[in-house]
Amino acid sequence: MMMMLRQTTRKACLGLRASPLGLGRRLYHENVIDHFENPRNVGSFNRNDPDVGTGLVGAPSCGDLMSLQIKVDDSGQIIDTRFKTFGCGSAIASSSVASEWIKGKTIEESLTIKNAEIAKHLRLPPVKLHCSMLAEDAIKSAVRDYKEKRAKANAAAEEETVEA
Amino acid sequence: YTTISLEPKASSDPVMKKTKTLVASISTLYRRTYPSTSPCNPLATIASIRSQTQLPRESLQHYSSAEALARRLRCSGRVFSSDSGAGKRVSGCWNCGEKAAFLFCESCRSIQPVDDSVDYFQIFGLEKKYEIEPGSLEGKYKDWQKKLHPDLVHNKSQKERDYAAEQSAKVTEACRTLTKRLSRAMYIMKLSGINVNEEETITDPTLLMEIMELREAISEADGSEALNQIQSQVQEKLKQWSDSFVEAFESQRFDEAVKCIQRMTYYERACEEIVKKL
Repeated sequence: MMMMLRQTTRKACLGLRASPLGLGRRLYHENVIDHFENPRNVGSFNRNDPDVGTGLVGAPSCGDLMSLQIKVDDSGQIIDTRFKTFGCGSAIASSSVASEWIKGKTIEESLTIKNAEIAKHLRLPPVKLHCSMLAEDAIKSAVRDYKEKRAKANAAAEEETVEA
Repeated sequence: YTTISLEPKASSDPVMKKTKTLVASISTLYRRTYPSTSPCNPLATIASIRSQTQLPRESLQHYSSAEALARRLRCSGRVFSSDSGAGKRVSGCWNCGEKAAFLFCESCRSIQPVDDSVDYFQIFGLEKKYEIEPGSLEGKYKDWQKKLHPDLVHNKSQKERDYAAEQSAKVTEACRTLTKRLSRAMYIMKLSGINVNEEETITDPTLLMEIMELREAISEADGSEALNQIQSQVQEKLKQWSDSFVEAFESQRFDEAVKCIQRMTYYERACEEIVKKL
């Protein structure tokens, strides 16, 4: 899993360095390149684990796809994250940043992360702002999925106690 | 000297009639007061007259439509008729005044300025629908470029060279848009007034899971055989969803059509990924 992303990362990386994005001066910010070359938290958890929330979002205009998974402990704190993104460098960097920032936060705190902050951190140009929006939506989707899972689990547990 | 006569073709609309008589009267008025200047731009004349004369109030509301009409009538001092807006705009050639000059005037062989109301289907003489014959674009494209390409107009005026550059670029863009299925679909939706490229994220789990699995399969595929197999599968899906798009579009189910386009976008991206790996 890591291998696959490393391969594509390495290939695409050469492209990044060799040809600047756009005409002339527009380059990827060093934060973006950093997240691209050293992506943190790439991979996946088992979707069916009870303490895992999975957020799966897509941007139809450019065909980007982002998956963000969170592992939450009993106190509601996010102890680990994994992400997998198919898309442009900005999308990958945005999801990498998101996965890093929410680690250690509670799920309620993670919902306060705004796409503007991610975009500012990565100095995203206007045309790439939707990538940061996608990352914010991915966080929300993961949290929502986790909460639904918990609600279902609690409901099932209650049924069992009633029957017993 | 010549007067502009406007023949109201099939316009029983009283507003149109009024507008036309208004323009006619303004133009003749202008000619009487300034007989020496060449009446090339009725728009400018109307603007100058507006500031000088006081026209009755009822005609004020016709100004905007009169101006619009005047803009459409590029006069070169000749008699011409105005089209009441059915299909292509019929305006005179700026060079010789020949009537039916579509992109290029046949009689004086001069290139016309770009008209934004002409859409890509009209350029290729095709009906405004999604399905097109595969070979219908190539021949027409070459024909147009033989007439419009900037390389062929070195000895003409700067203005005409500019027109050539713009027209040629538009024809190229038209060919490119109409060749690929996905861009054609998006263009035809745009023509019908529906904006497809919204920045909203989609969270449909079934679609996204399917695409996720597809992309993972592509990245894990080793060897061109496996990739080719996946590619043919994706091409199948593209064809299938392309057909669904046609159906949805024609029955005016535009939400569904948008969904078809979204799917097609994802499949196209997957195809690009495969091609990169091959």
